[in-house]
Amino acid sequence: MADLRTNLAGITSPNPFWLASAPPTNSGYQVQRAFEAGWGGAVWKTLGDPILNVSSRYAAVNFNGQRVAGFNNIELITDRPLEVNLKEIYETKKRFPGHAVIASLMVEPKQEAWHEIVKKAEAAGVDGLELNFGCPHGMAERGMGSASGQVPELVEKQTTWAKEAAETPVIVKLTPNITDITATAEAAVRGGADAVSMINTINSLAGVDIDSWLPIPNVSGKGAHGGYCGPAVKPIALNMVSECARNSRINVPISGMGGVSNWQNAVEFMLMGASNVQICTAAMHHGFRIVDDLIEGLSNYLDERGILSIQDIIGKSVPTYSDWGNLDLNYNVVARINNDVCINCNKCHIACEDTSHQCIDMLNDGNGNPILRVREEDCVGCNLCSIVCPVDGAIDMIEVPQELPSMTWNERQSLLGSLKDCKITK
Amino acid sequence: MGEHEQYVIEREKIDYFIDRGYKINGVLENLEGAFIEFKMNTDEKEEESIETLHIKTANGRKYFSALLLKQIQSVS
Repeated sequence: MADLRTNLAGITSPNPFWLASAPPTNSGYQVQRAFEAGWGGAVWKTLGDPILNVSSRYAAVNFNGQRVAGFNNIELITDRPLEVNLKEIYETKKRFPGHAVIASLMVEPKQEAWHEIVKKAEAAGVDGLELNFGCPHGMAERGMGSASGQVPELVEKQTTWAKEAAETPVIVKLTPNITDITATAEAAVRGGADAVSMINTINSLAGVDIDSWLPIPNVSGKGAHGGYCGPAVKPIALNMVSECARNSRINVPISGMGGVSNWQNAVEFMLMGASNVQICTAAMHHGFRIVDDLIEGLSNYLDERGILSIQDIIGKSVPTYSDWGNLDLNYNVVARINNDVCINCNKCHIACEDTSHQCIDMLNDGNGNPILRVREEDCVGCNLCSIVCPVDGAIDMIEVPQELPSMTWNERQSLLGSLKDCKITK
Repeated sequence: MGEHEQYVIEREKIDYFIDRGYKINGVLENLEGAFIEFKMNTDEKEEESIETLHIKTANGRKYFSALLLKQIQSVS
């Protein structure tokens, strides 16, 4: 069996699966139950001045029969006294010394406040700290969470303050509610962060009840924006992890999260540079036992490929992720329809005809049977037909021989720029 | 006329000039597509021959870019 042990900036855990700072890590009872189930680490629900919550707090977005495709919450950080949390952290760490226990922290942007909470958390025996610069709701209205995390100078300064007092590794958790997450990730590194983690939740309104006309969820007839997570946000999170991983100025490990729902998602995040993954929504949907499938699936994946350690896949796909301007303009794929598999639902034809490049013809074969055929010379290889096709194997995207030499947009513009008389007007 | 057919026609027009010894001398790209200026290599006594082609298709723009690459590589 492959070695699943991970090391994030010196924080070791028996496997890469950590519970993210959220309702599943609210108490010692829950975290210990998670460790018994097999989770490698847990980031404790954010510690800070105990807050007051509202009821209700969660909403899910279901899509075409899939429950919890997205998840929205308006719950805040811990509502329990610091002393209670720290006592349970101490007990948990004592009982599970080999598991990673991280304290998520959020205080006002004041040096003494960071020093105080860092020292108190570390005295309880945590393996590391995660600075919560991400929560988008409630706390942000008070100048904390994402309100801090959206300003690089505040990220840098508060990271510096935490580091001044910290003896354990400091992870800075970043908000996705910003145009370019690398700006705040770089700020965290400048502040001395030992690692960064991403993404926190995305500003969201889960829905509006079209009968009552009230926001979902609502609290006595009123709603407020919440934080969105779950499978729907995975592509956004994966891109942000990847962008940070390929940025040479962000030279610290990354803890990846955002919609990780199964072991395959974990592999994707780790291939794109995450040293481990944090999970919340999947655990809230299915319970702690999902970690069995996560570990078994990841382990089998590595064993089947003869990979001895999970460490050996971290970042392996990062070099393949670049800017659009570095993609080959002359590389071509086209769609090919396998009519022996096709069920003639015509979804591909409709999609192509209505919304793409009008290159799938509805024809009849020699026996008068309806068939679909792609005019390959007009096909731009957009993938839409294969995406909407309901039958696996009915449409293949085939690489076609390149007629023109490889050339990226950047190379082309450089080439045109070399001409004496070249003008590109805008 | 389909996009591909339009491209084939543009490619033939570009090839027409290239086959006759014209070089791509300048390119103007704007909202209407690309305008390629072809210039014939003539000896100094002859009158300079300049032709312009309006390229509207995306594949046409890729095509002349590839020819330009070839032209520049052949010089260097």
